[in-house]
Amino acid sequence: MAGALTLKTRTAFTGISFVTPTILIIALILIYPIAQSFVLSFGESSIDGFEPYRFVGLKHYSALMGDSRFWNSLGVTFAFTALSIPLELILGIGLALLMNETFKFKGIARLAVLFPWALPTALNTLIWRWMYNSDYGLFNALALQGGLVDRPINFLGDDVLAMGSMVVVAVWKTSSFMALIILAGLQSIPRDLFEAGRMDGMNRWQEFTQITLPLLKGPILVALIIRSMDALRTFELPFNLTDGGPAAATESLSLYAYKVIFDFLDFNFGAAIVVVQFLVIFAMSLIYVFTLRGKD
Amino acid sequence: MKNGRYCVAMLATVIAVCGPIKAFAQDLVMSIGSRGYGGMVERNIESFQAANPDITVEWNKVSDVPGDSRKLYVTGLTAKSPTPDVFAIDVIWAGEFAQRGWLYPLSGVIDDAQITAYNPSFLSAATVGDKVYAAPLYLDGTHLFYRKDLLEKYGLAVPMTWEELIAASKTVMEGEGNPQLYGFVSMWAKIEGLFMNWLSFTGGNGASFFDVNGNVAVNSAEAIAATQAMVDILHKHKIAPDSILTMRPDDARTLFQQGRAVFLMVQDFVHAPLSAADSPVAGKFDFTRNPYFEGHADAHSTALGGWLLAVNANSENKEAAAKLVAHFTSFDNQLAAAIDENRAPGRTDVYSAPQMVDASLIRDFGTNYAVGVVRPSAATGSLYPRVSEAMQIEITNALHREKTVEQALNDAAAAVKSILGQ
Amino acid sequence: MIKRPRYGLYTLVALSVVISFFPIVWLILTSFKNTAGIYAWPPQYWPNPFTLENYISIVTNSPELLRYILNSFIVGFGCTVITLLFGGLSAYALSRLHLRFAGVLMVGILAVSMFPPVSLLPSLFQNFLNLGLLNTYLGLILAHSGLFLPFSVWMLASYFATLPVEIEEAARMDGMGFFRIFLTIVLPLSWPGFVATGLIVFIFSWNEFPLALVLMTQNAMRTAPVGISLYPGEYAFPWETISTATVLAIIPVLIITAIFQKQIVGGLTAGAGK
Repeated sequence: MAGALTLKTRTAFTGISFVTPTILIIALILIYPIAQSFVLSFGESSIDGFEPYRFVGLKHYSALMGDSRFWNSLGVTFAFTALSIPLELILGIGLALLMNETFKFKGIARLAVLFPWALPTALNTLIWRWMYNSDYGLFNALALQGGLVDRPINFLGDDVLAMGSMVVVAVWKTSSFMALIILAGLQSIPRDLFEAGRMDGMNRWQEFTQITLPLLKGPILVALIIRSMDALRTFELPFNLTDGGPAAATESLSLYAYKVIFDFLDFNFGAAIVVVQFLVIFAMSLIYVFTLRGKD
Repeated sequence: MKNGRYCVAMLATVIAVCGPIKAFAQDLVMSIGSRGYGGMVERNIESFQAANPDITVEWNKVSDVPGDSRKLYVTGLTAKSPTPDVFAIDVIWAGEFAQRGWLYPLSGVIDDAQITAYNPSFLSAATVGDKVYAAPLYLDGTHLFYRKDLLEKYGLAVPMTWEELIAASKTVMEGEGNPQLYGFVSMWAKIEGLFMNWLSFTGGNGASFFDVNGNVAVNSAEAIAATQAMVDILHKHKIAPDSILTMRPDDARTLFQQGRAVFLMVQDFVHAPLSAADSPVAGKFDFTRNPYFEGHADAHSTALGGWLLAVNANSENKEAAAKLVAHFTSFDNQLAAAIDENRAPGRTDVYSAPQMVDASLIRDFGTNYAVGVVRPSAATGSLYPRVSEAMQIEITNALHREKTVEQALNDAAAAVKSILGQ
Repeated sequence: MIKRPRYGLYTLVALSVVISFFPIVWLILTSFKNTAGIYAWPPQYWPNPFTLENYISIVTNSPELLRYILNSFIVGFGCTVITLLFGGLSAYALSRLHLRFAGVLMVGILAVSMFPPVSLLPSLFQNFLNLGLLNTYLGLILAHSGLFLPFSVWMLASYFATLPVEIEEAARMDGMGFFRIFLTIVLPLSWPGFVATGLIVFIFSWNEFPLALVLMTQNAMRTAPVGISLYPGEYAFPWETISTATVLAIIPVLIITAIFQKQIVGGLTAGAGK
């Protein structure tokens, strides 16, 4: 009896010591500023003490509810996420499977495919913005010279096309990220499972759905959560591609919060936006975890 | 014991000697864009350090893109960081930053004589109460650049009014018959530059942001007519490409440089790249002041922008920092900036200096700055960003034809009034 | 058995490579064009003349770019080490040691990473200012680690979960300490996961912009993306300089990705189930 208690305690002690460094760093970098954001969102004043802090309860939140620009940015963010995540996942899995095969020039092919996401987002977006340009961009040049269209396509100036263009850039960049995570997961699947399956006469599709997919569930879930969180917080992409335009058609929540904080210097309202955004993301990841884990 | 007392005495002597010396040596950190002021930054820092051997200046390069450096400044200033001691601010930030107590007042620290020499509209943008909080460093303004070869070909005079410009554009476009040649390009994306553009148009029709009584007048009859002209340029006369609504200054410049536009209205920074040796339009273009509308020959239509130098209110070396600011904005250094680096001075007295003959470009720009319009940042102070944003939104709505011009401007007026609490 | 030529496979691969790589190819081509070529209309596809003037110009006029790249390396490397080490230990503890608070902690760690870094800037800057961590490698490494530890913990936990428990249980029976188990059993078995996570974190850190912008303001301490952001003018966007600088800044990332992608896919899969 005494031995078992000691074991549990020792385990707990080890566990705590393993986790402590992480907690400390996160406390400094994330928890403290987040707590400040929460406090700011419930009051008036900025952290420079421009005015003394006044607690105003839910005033900013109710103002937020009536703010049409907020709802627009929420809708934009959801639309962007809903459009890009499924595409990224499918392409990511496809790319990972492809890269898992053996063929000539495998190394270079893998590198090329994994590379898009290694580019800094801001620069990557600027390249695409240049290519999308309707007067001297690459895409329109090709389309015009190829006779596909006789007037340039206004990729970034049309409400719907702008969102589509943004999704294309996101999918292009992040499919390789998904592919990387899933590829590592694929590599961890023991080969003998596949051999056993082949013995049983499984074809490739069955192999995929009955062996590969279930074992990939862990990495897929993580990839989905991480990517969804990123998509819901997207900032660099709309900022550099369209600056939220045309007319706020691509203004994400983070972009709106940024404008409120850094352009209007309204730290409190901006904090409220960020807190709401956090709650939305949190709810979303809970949904993911429960649906995907529950399927076990 | 004797050794101990000896050591203490030595130590005390060392401290006594070194202490005061250390108190005199001051380190200043100056944040200014890496490109915006050209080689003047290094030159001025060198000459300053030579004249003030006890002060060192470290040049902290920041991005020239206003949004990027603003992010940096806002973060540092809200945290009450003592550095940078001196930094360059966009003219529209001056009132805002001053009102938040982030800037150290320069009145009384810089000579009055020098202060009165500064450009008056920039100075008013940097004055809160009766104190001046920043010193103008250099200006820029929007101009009309045109293809003189095309105008000559069709026997057209340089347009002074918008009506003339529209007619000239149509003539050239029809004559050339090139679907990729446009009449007019400018920066009409939903950016600060759009607001400046709009002020050019409306100013050119005799309208102003506030009326004589200080009330918001963005929906005056003149403003509506001018804005309608903008909409017509795009949708009725069709002398501008659809993509003008996504153009930033450099996009418009690129199109003009590729030879695909007759008229270009942007800031004068474009003069250098357009006249570069490998530019397709080098030698084929010239510039004039922005057009006005018929019957308003005395109207102001040059939209002004520029940068000022300010001292951080939390700086630990405020006096030295103010000295540095005064040095950068001295007569001689501003003259050198005009002649050697093509930077339009923030002081009015420099323009009439005899040496300015060597800087004819700046001098010509300067003539047009005299008929300038500035954004209402001084009057709106820390509310300026919201005002600008409200204006940009409604002007965009009008240009996209989501609202009629009258509707858009009425909504703009209502929004601005509510922001200003009028 | 005759092997059918795998046209389908090769086509797909070729397509993927082209689509993935063309913007970068476009960027590289641009860096070899002169100004007239970059802004030419109709667009110039192949540089004519093919010139190195942009590269020469950057090396002579902006040698600090190399320093920025070095800084990015140091920060990225430091951040990767910390996130793999601490993240790995945490992931192991939370997924294998059956701690009571594991679930709460996992969710909590994930939750705090859901705030957009941009909104954390002002208060983070203030904290670092007061702690004297501004313009230090340690400061930015800690900041990046804070940003990416949650990702690392979750990633590694998910890889650990795929490992069979029997091996560890056997080791526990033999009386091995947890730390040794982590080092000698778990780490080697989940090597592809570690490499993938490490590579991703390195690249996250390399590309991170907002925090690097405000926490490293001194010229000598800047990271590469921030350094490159200094090239645009207030209105002008010099593609000559920017494309060249970007290509130079990407090369280290390219090399590292090349090295480590072999590690990921050459992982120890055979015998894992034994």
